[in-house]
Amino acid sequence: MRENDRKRYLASVTDKFAKGQMGRRQFLKASAALGLAGLGTSMIGRPSGLFTPAYAQEALTPSAEVIAWLKDVAKPFAGTTLKLATEATPPSNALNGQLKGFFEEATGIKVEIEILPLEQVLQKLTLDVASSLGTYDLYYIDQSWAASVSQDVFDPREQYAANAALAMPNYNLDDFLPALVDGICVYEDRWVGVPYDIPVFIMIYRKDIYDQFGLKAPASLAELLSNSEIITKEMGPAMYGTTGQMKSGHYSLECDWTAWLWGHGGSIFGPDGKFTGNDDRGLEAMAYWDKLKATMPPGVDGWTWDGQGQSVAQGVAASMLSWGEFFPYFDDPTQTKVSGLCEVAVPPAANLLRTSAETGYGEIPGVGHQGGSSLAVSKYSKNVDAAWIFMQWATCADTQALITSLGGGTGPTRASVYDDPRVVANARVGAGTTRHLNVVRETIANHMGSEPDLPEWAQLSSDTIPVGLGKYFAGGYGSAKEAMDDIASQVDAVIAG
Amino acid sequence: MHQSRATRTLRTIAGWLVVGVFFFPIYFWTSVAFRNAKDIFNWPPKIFVFEPNMHNFEEVFGISLTIGPQVVNPGGGNFYMAPRLLDSIIIATFSTLLAIVVATAAAYCLSRMPFRGRHHFVNWVLSTRMMPPVAVAIPMFFIFKEFTLLDTYLGVILIHALMNLPLAVLLMKSFFDDIPAEIDESALIDGASRWTIFRRIVLPMAKGGIAASAVLCFIFSWTEFLFVLTLTQTGLKTVPVVSSTFVTSIGTAWGNMAALGAAAIIPAFIVVLLVQRHLVRGLTMGSLKQ
Repeated sequence: MRENDRKRYLASVTDKFAKGQMGRRQFLKASAALGLAGLGTSMIGRPSGLFTPAYAQEALTPSAEVIAWLKDVAKPFAGTTLKLATEATPPSNALNGQLKGFFEEATGIKVEIEILPLEQVLQKLTLDVASSLGTYDLYYIDQSWAASVSQDVFDPREQYAANAALAMPNYNLDDFLPALVDGICVYEDRWVGVPYDIPVFIMIYRKDIYDQFGLKAPASLAELLSNSEIITKEMGPAMYGTTGQMKSGHYSLECDWTAWLWGHGGSIFGPDGKFTGNDDRGLEAMAYWDKLKATMPPGVDGWTWDGQGQSVAQGVAASMLSWGEFFPYFDDPTQTKVSGLCEVAVPPAANLLRTSAETGYGEIPGVGHQGGSSLAVSKYSKNVDAAWIFMQWATCADTQALITSLGGGTGPTRASVYDDPRVVANARVGAGTTRHLNVVRETIANHMGSEPDLPEWAQLSSDTIPVGLGKYFAGGYGSAKEAMDDIASQVDAVIAG
Repeated sequence: MHQSRATRTLRTIAGWLVVGVFFFPIYFWTSVAFRNAKDIFNWPPKIFVFEPNMHNFEEVFGISLTIGPQVVNPGGGNFYMAPRLLDSIIIATFSTLLAIVVATAAAYCLSRMPFRGRHHFVNWVLSTRMMPPVAVAIPMFFIFKEFTLLDTYLGVILIHALMNLPLAVLLMKSFFDDIPAEIDESALIDGASRWTIFRRIVLPMAKGGIAASAVLCFIFSWTEFLFVLTLTQTGLKTVPVVSSTFVTSIGTAWGNMAALGAAAIIPAFIVVLLVQRHLVRGLTMGSLKQ
């Protein structure tokens, strides 16, 4: 093979491996065929771009201890097929594209992961729960659905205690970050699975542009507004100070709203279970939001987090308070124009915060809006034990470290994984970076806001509230007060049934 | 009718404008498939000037088009969709065949064989199309689960054929109505059986109508979303459903989605080309009554 072809071939297979389209073995085989086995092993860390070798290849495979346990415990279940429907999140992509093969090889259990957009996962989940047919063995449960399906899944603590023979040694349920357990999967003292992924709002900003104007990462909401106004005034319309996810009727709009609401000392519900987004603090938040929106690119009210992320990736917006899992994507030079230019900070401090006791339905105010999902075994599954083994493996510390290393720098839900050497090694500029994870960890510990838990929340958060807010930004109400009063009456009507 | 040069030029320009309006979205979508991710959302948009590459096609179809056959992707990557295109082809082809075979026979009977309540029967056939598909999808899920048709080719082929049947029957009936009944009667007098008349005389005359109905059935199956979403899991998926999986929690893979979309145009386009000869005739059949 000519040298030129050799290089192109190597670049191609490396790229495919980095993107999870080629297995580890095939990659090594292809590298070896070029006489580059050493190079292959040294380049095994993903992803590509400016990202340089992260870790030895052996370290990016499941630990021998975990594999030995899988081989032993799963013998009776070889030949079983497990099904899971999930959103295309970094953990699910890493499991589906790169890691489940290790599990299948060790156990003989086949795992079929159906990747769908979030709304369609909800449809599948609802159908499976309503029919009790058990077409899926495991459920991917967005935190806003936890209350609705709490009785349809096993509590993992009970599963772990009930069958010692299937319990993974050192699984350590206490290692899950307590704030996430509380925010994502606890409903009425039951664990609705274990925390599976954790997108949380952090402050992402263009360091070069902030430096240009002598600005610092916003420490308060007022600073975020003034920074954004300066940038928009000086650089608009080529560059806007900040951006948003404000699509009418979409869940993303509700996420943005809560950050400003909580940051102004408001809450969605009061202790009496009544909607309080229309009180004085709620209206203060709306006034702030109106001003902030004026510093955002036009069209922001047609964007979900997708458009919001694109506006930063394309160099149109200089900051965003949004999901931390965007950050590794921004650092990927093959995907964006801002690789290495962005930095992270914890969310701006709230002006005032209500305590949980001052809210309703377990709501936890905080500017760092927490999303996320849990993974749980369905009560209707015909393969409960095999599913439980897979769930423990998919959420154990060793697999989470691999997911974070291979899955594009997604935030771990276990405390120990943040300090895992394989994860720390990726904390450098480039695709799949983990250099934002310390900020993610601090945000979870000190700045995180969590939505309320009530069975109607899926409807309220994805329909009632964002439709009303969208109507407000489209000029459908005379004032913020009118809009929030209308939303309040609708929310209370939904809850009243 | 004499037309001035200016009128002819104006008509030509108007014609090209109309073509441009319809063609531009297809061009732009296809061009997205050949762009790098960071070039898709350029502002101001770069409509014609960009560095084309095959990267998105390589990811979606698992075949490196720049290196050679030795680097065929093993598949299983998150955006590897080649098998899904095959699923779509199988489902659209066989559901169309099934719908056309059944519809042709049914339409011939409705056209030629008088029976009590025939007109009501036609209305009843049409009424099944009046129900919103979502009202049927969930009961179908339970029925399919019971008959182990969930997540199978047979299941989706059946549901797509059922979905297209009313339209195909009505279309085919109007085509058969267009063929003079006297031809059948003459053949009957000459001793031909109903089956012979249908097979040897009427069917060849209705080829255009069959082609037009088949194209419509194929396109409806090719683009159907709800039933495939509800009645499949991991075993198979069609292009419209897997297209939605490019929407991830950290954004949409527009380039990959465009690559699949651009490739998905081709089979439907081939089907239309294959039957094009009969299509024009078919689309005008039934427009004039005796």
